[in-house]
Amino acid sequence: MTSTIRPGSVEWMGERLARKEDLRLVTGKGKYLADIIIPGALHAVFVRSEYAHAKILGIDLAEAESLPGVIAIYTGESIKDLINPMPQAIVKPNLSAKYPTFWPLAVGKVTFHGEPVALVIARDKYVAEDASELVLVDYEELPVVLDPEKALSPDSLVVHEKDGTNEIFSMTFTGGETEEEQKLNEKEVNSIFDTAPVVVKERFRTHRTGLTPMEPRGVLCDWNESDGLTAYITTQRPHIDRLALSDILEISAERVRVIAPRDQGGGFGVKAPFYRENIIIAYAAKALSKPVRWIESRYESLMNVGQERDQINELQIAADREGNLLGLRNRGIADNGVGTTGVYWGFVMPFLGAIELPNAYKWPKADISLKVATTNKACLTPSRAFGHFPTRFAVERCIDMVAHKIGIEPSDLRRKNLVDTLPYTSVTNEYYDSGDFLKVWDTLTAKADLANFRKTQSEALKENRYIGIGFGCGVELSGVASELLVPMENQPGYGAATVRLDPRGKVQVFGGDAPGGQGHETTTAQVVASEFGIDPADVVVTTGDTGTTPFGSGSIGARAGSYFVSAVADACRELKEKITRILAYDLEIEARNEHFEFIDGEVIYIGDRSKKSSFLSIVERIIMFPINLPKGEVGGLDATAFFEAPKPMICFNADCCIVEVNIETGDFEILKWITTEDVGNVINPLVVDGQMHGAIVQGISNTVFEEFVYDDQGQQLSADFENYKLATAADVPNIDIHYATTPCPHTPLGTRGIGEGRPSSIPGTLTNAVCDALAPFQIEINELPLRPNSIWEKIQQAKQA
Amino acid sequence: MTSIKLTVNGEKFEEQIDNRLLLVDFLRDNLSLTGTHVGCTYEGVCGACTIHLDGDAVKSCMLLAVQADGHNITTVEGLSADGGLSDLQQAFNDEHGLQCGYCTPGILMNMADFLRENPNPNDEQIRHGLIGNLCRCTGYVHIVRAVKKAAKMLRDNEPEVRV
Amino acid sequence: MYPAEIKEYHRPDSINQVFEIMAHHDEGESLLLAGGQSSMQAIKSRMLRPQCIIDLQNLQELKTVKVESGTLKIGAMVRYCELAKNSALDKNFTGLKDAATHVGDRQVRNRGTIGGSVCWNYAAACTPTAVLALDGRMHLVSSKGDSRVVKADDFFLGPLDTAKSESDILICVSFEQPETKAGSAYKKWGLVKDALPVVGICAFIKLDTSGLCCEARIAVTGMGLGAQRATAGEAALLSSDGDPKSIEAAIDGICATIDAPTDLSATSDYRYQLIRNLGFEVIQIAFKRASI
Repeated sequence: MTSTIRPGSVEWMGERLARKEDLRLVTGKGKYLADIIIPGALHAVFVRSEYAHAKILGIDLAEAESLPGVIAIYTGESIKDLINPMPQAIVKPNLSAKYPTFWPLAVGKVTFHGEPVALVIARDKYVAEDASELVLVDYEELPVVLDPEKALSPDSLVVHEKDGTNEIFSMTFTGGETEEEQKLNEKEVNSIFDTAPVVVKERFRTHRTGLTPMEPRGVLCDWNESDGLTAYITTQRPHIDRLALSDILEISAERVRVIAPRDQGGGFGVKAPFYRENIIIAYAAKALSKPVRWIESRYESLMNVGQERDQINELQIAADREGNLLGLRNRGIADNGVGTTGVYWGFVMPFLGAIELPNAYKWPKADISLKVATTNKACLTPSRAFGHFPTRFAVERCIDMVAHKIGIEPSDLRRKNLVDTLPYTSVTNEYYDSGDFLKVWDTLTAKADLANFRKTQSEALKENRYIGIGFGCGVELSGVASELLVPMENQPGYGAATVRLDPRGKVQVFGGDAPGGQGHETTTAQVVASEFGIDPADVVVTTGDTGTTPFGSGSIGARAGSYFVSAVADACRELKEKITRILAYDLEIEARNEHFEFIDGEVIYIGDRSKKSSFLSIVERIIMFPINLPKGEVGGLDATAFFEAPKPMICFNADCCIVEVNIETGDFEILKWITTEDVGNVINPLVVDGQMHGAIVQGISNTVFEEFVYDDQGQQLSADFENYKLATAADVPNIDIHYATTPCPHTPLGTRGIGEGRPSSIPGTLTNAVCDALAPFQIEINELPLRPNSIWEKIQQAKQA
Repeated sequence: MTSIKLTVNGEKFEEQIDNRLLLVDFLRDNLSLTGTHVGCTYEGVCGACTIHLDGDAVKSCMLLAVQADGHNITTVEGLSADGGLSDLQQAFNDEHGLQCGYCTPGILMNMADFLRENPNPNDEQIRHGLIGNLCRCTGYVHIVRAVKKAAKMLRDNEPEVRV
Repeated sequence: MYPAEIKEYHRPDSINQVFEIMAHHDEGESLLLAGGQSSMQAIKSRMLRPQCIIDLQNLQELKTVKVESGTLKIGAMVRYCELAKNSALDKNFTGLKDAATHVGDRQVRNRGTIGGSVCWNYAAACTPTAVLALDGRMHLVSSKGDSRVVKADDFFLGPLDTAKSESDILICVSFEQPETKAGSAYKKWGLVKDALPVVGICAFIKLDTSGLCCEARIAVTGMGLGAQRATAGEAALLSSDGDPKSIEAAIDGICATIDAPTDLSATSDYRYQLIRNLGFEVIQIAFKRASI
């Protein structure tokens, strides 16, 4: 085996270092949730609703309970007086909304196909499934509401009766706090639209799709009277899950430990909510005083989670004839599903989607509002490009339509209107801290060579070949600042890390976030190695365990490259201060931290490079031999730092894709995908490339292949991978990445958090390219998914017209 | 219950098992070979559970363990004979061919078999060969690169084949 | 997700042993398991709950491909990966090879068998469609000991339905080597590559000594009915040399006789368009292959 970790003086920041975590993952030694064994663990299987909306008249457990090996069966009725209902403050945003009340198992009625109705616990997972089939639920079917617009009409049936309405959330995002201010803003925007020379009004429909980590969810809980509850959960936010479990089950917080396994099979937002399944599994472990484990099947997963993007955006853009954007108006409607998911409740995604709608463009004025409707479908759950996949699709498509109407190149129109001076505050009051959008854009268009492409395109057309080019871009959050996260999710945004040196000169790092494949162990080690001048092999990273890590809001919103590594760097620097104070004292020199260099495993006084110590000796001296210290110093080298930038931060990307459409079938092939990224200073280009590839392909797969489908009774028809199609390797292109970076001035390393929002520019870019290829037919596409069938229909309609 | 005898990663096992036990559960639960993963329900589409049955890449969730009686199985834990990394594993590490790693064992097992049949594959062949393995993290770009690199490493190392 | 209880598992070494085991079970209790790539889906989802599984993996006689006096005989347990590589299919039966090369994925092809596929006859499957177009014959032996040969036209009765009774076992699928030049091709369309066909179409063309079509067989799948012949289309090709006009006429014939449904995967109109598009291609390729 050849180790890729090299000793010696390497500037580890920016190094294409092969990942440390791979060594266990490629040999099958990873420890995912399903691989964790607690002896005697019982197996849980949920009985889930067969109907989208039905009264539960009764549940007959007799036959199931009599099956040998069955330990317990819980129903909503049997637990509702023993478990606090949701919502609980810890998982409830500071946003005014009609939060449904619910228990982990349905009480009284079911509100979507797949809702947990009963929980069967048995010694063996096969027997648990046998017993689950014997649980007889007597339902009385109720009518369903599945269309968000119908759900908002006054005569609609109401999913959660106590609210009296299906409008779970609504908000105006522009024009101030008071109704008067908003009215005035509306009036001003109306007058822009009334007088603008160019106005485009379109309705954009994005389908229900999202992310599906390859590892489904799982929970393994253990209880004993001394320690209380230990819960292993597939989760991106163990510290929040801990507080939520404590509040709901009334177990004092110090007696709850949540561990997100070190290896998690992807998250992408899907493992960020606090789920009702966690509650009942923890409850069962406590009630039975036995370990209980639930591993979600793919069927359950596709029935319950990873459903996002389900929005209608009625978007209008006003512009002048030169292509200057004058105004933006959007009426968004989102299909929330039932809303029974902690932290997000469904509407938090469209809420952020509306905020991020303006993207990187200068809009002098905007009027943006949103209504979110409860329906008898699974609750929206977060998925990478959280809420703004649909709104960016609408804006990026609509910008192309404006350009078509004026008769200029869409890419020129974009450049003309890109924010050119940062910092900048968007029309929805989103703060863009830094970067150079024009540099990113110009790098992209240079690579795309539009003029040459137009020649190729017209040549191709002569041979009846339809090729097209599409552009798009995205301003994305680099971490989620407290300023946004406190109102949005009732949680802090800061990053936290503990850096602990040991007497052998090695480093342990502890972080409270819980990654799922983003490479924290390697990139964090590179940061630490750079700071201390040591080898990344000497750094070990622990995440996800609330028993050992400082509080963190989780692996969400591109927090790693922004907030987490910044906290790591700050903690290292705090330790360096202490190390150099004591070293200066030992060397009997007047010197401060900045007079020392940490390099090649040594701490060297720059003023006289013969005055130095090995990193190992000075660390060992401070930890193990704390005698003869300067006055006021004590031994030990362990620091926890919290990082929060003064204002929110962003990253920026731009995309170009070239497609060829077969007009006989509507099939299209992506011939080229070029992307330009401002990711700030790069810690590990391999890892960043990987994040971009993954996000872009997820965006393509969501745009073209994936769709959650419900029939008119609310039955979900897409709960397996035969019907919910993910793009395979043969369906997607290679990705050509270029960097045009600007260091972030607000992080200690100049890094930016990347990856979360990255898929958002994909649906617009890809659809723009298809429409460009079909320009001879003057086809504009406003609906997703972008399927050959619907493209072919558009071509037929155009031919007839 | 049925008694089965089989070889897994070169080691002989004899076990009493339920007829309905899936091979993937036998490997994971009975033999603690948890490198083989489960990513779908009944459809057998994700490929995370891919193993070698008498040298052929197959999905272990689509077989009963009793069907493996008398056969020779290799899992990801047995991919490298010497306990280090095989060329294929090394190439995945070098090229960042994995992120969360959940699909990776299945991909490695499928590609090890694929490379035996296709020692010098192009991108299109690799992508076609990967259809039976879903990956959600990487967008496949680095996977394709890793397989190509492994192919070259293996060709360069001939005749000492260690897929 | 996990199979329901399976009381018995058998792995017979001979066809007689298969029948002996079957004799101990009532109808519906036992299941013959070939590659299992479809039936395991049904068993895991508990759509099928066999009491007794009879695993055919030891029946060596079902694993051979041979040509006997002008007849290509493919054992029921021959896997897709073997079909995809077998040169015995090269001359006339490339359509079956096309189908086998693109069934599912590598892992499925390493395990799935021709016999399993034709006996399962899924609503949208490649192999039955190719077997139907290529005029395959199913060689069945019944538990009573009598054997019979059923033509594909009489074998495929609809989705998940065939002329094979529960007491039958499929020994092999045979194809008559044409006396004249012949060629075949299969293509399908699915949303993702190599998925179950939304539309699949296979054409088998025989040419007379002057290079004109003397027999054509076309089969289509993806219409919700399993593999279907499209006889009206075939007639239009007779005596043609595969000129575009005749192919167009053949496709009109196919579309006129096939009822294309609308479902989650495609609209009816789009299915017709795919039939036109793929149909043109496969017929053209089949003619080309026949002419070599």
